[in-house]
Amino acid sequence: MCATCGCSGHGSGTQIQFFVTGYDGDNAKIIEEKLLGLAGVLHVHIHAHDGETTINYDPAKTRLSEITAVFEQKGLQAAI
Amino acid sequence: MEVPVMENILGSNDKQALQNKEIFDRNGIFVLNLIGSPGSGKTSLLEKTIVSLKNSLKMAVIEGDLFTNKDADRIAGCNVPVIQINTSGGCHLDAMMIKNVIGKLNLAQLDLIIIENVGNLVCPAEFNIGEDNKAVVLSITEGDDKPLKYPLIFKEAATAVLNKIDILSFTNFDMKAARHDITCLNPAVNIIETSCRTDIGIDKWTEWLKNAVQIKQKRINER
Repeated sequence: MCATCGCSGHGSGTQIQFFVTGYDGDNAKIIEEKLLGLAGVLHVHIHAHDGETTINYDPAKTRLSEITAVFEQKGLQAAI
Repeated sequence: MEVPVMENILGSNDKQALQNKEIFDRNGIFVLNLIGSPGSGKTSLLEKTIVSLKNSLKMAVIEGDLFTNKDADRIAGCNVPVIQINTSGGCHLDAMMIKNVIGKLNLAQLDLIIIENVGNLVCPAEFNIGEDNKAVVLSITEGDDKPLKYPLIFKEAATAVLNKIDILSFTNFDMKAARHDITCLNPAVNIIETSCRTDIGIDKWTEWLKNAVQIKQKRINER
C-alpha cells in the first residue's frame, strides 16, 4: 500500500493466519463477511477445504480477541 | 539494524490533523475529505454540490492535485473560494499541507470546506487531514470489485458515492454486489448512487452533506 509507493503510510498492517476447523460451504462466507465488518479488518481469505484463513488487519483498530470471537460465536475452533 | 520510522511520520501527521480539526471546530466548519480515483467524478460532483448548496451554506474548496490548476479553475467558475495545493507528484494530501493553506480562507465566514484529495484510492485513506468525514467516490466504470480491492477507504468513509450510474446499463457493474461488499466492509456507511450528468441522486448527496453540517454546528453551539 502506501509504504510501497514511498509515501510512508501504514502499509497493509498485520497479517495473521489461522487454521479453522468446522467450515462448511455456508459458514465460511458468513465468517468472511463478519470479519470484514470489524473496523480494522481489511482482507480475509478463506480456504474452506483445509481451514486456512488469512486475515490482514490493523491491530490499532481491531484486537485479536475480537477476531477470535467471530470464530467462537459460530462454534468454530481457530488455531494460529 | 535500523528501524523504519513510518509510525513517527504518521504520528506527526495525526497530531497536525488534530490541530487542524480544532481550528475548524472553533470556527464551526464541517470539513469533508473527498477521495476517489482519477476520473471517478470528484470534481463534477463538487461542481454539482456547489450549485446546489452555495445559496444555503457558505462554502470553500481546497483542491489537491499533483500538478496543474485544472480542477481549481473549474471550481473557481462556480464562484466559491478555492485554494489549489499542488503536491508535485505526491500521491495524497497531508495535514501539514492543509495547515499551510487554511490561513488564506476567511474561516469565520464558512460553514463547509470540501477538500478534494489527489485522485487515488489508496494513500489518501491513510492520512487524516483534520476532516470531520471522508467520502469516497467510485464510478461504476471502475468496476464493482474495487471495494474489496481497496478496502481501507471504504472502511474510513462515512459516505460512498457510486457515480456515473446513468451509464450503468452499458457496463457489467454489479450494483448489488458492490453495495453488499461496501456494507460488509463498513456496516454504518451511507451509500448514494449519483449521476452528475443527469443529476440522479445529487439531491440525496447534498441533503446528507447539509445534514452533516447542521449536526456539527448544533453540537458546537451546545458546548
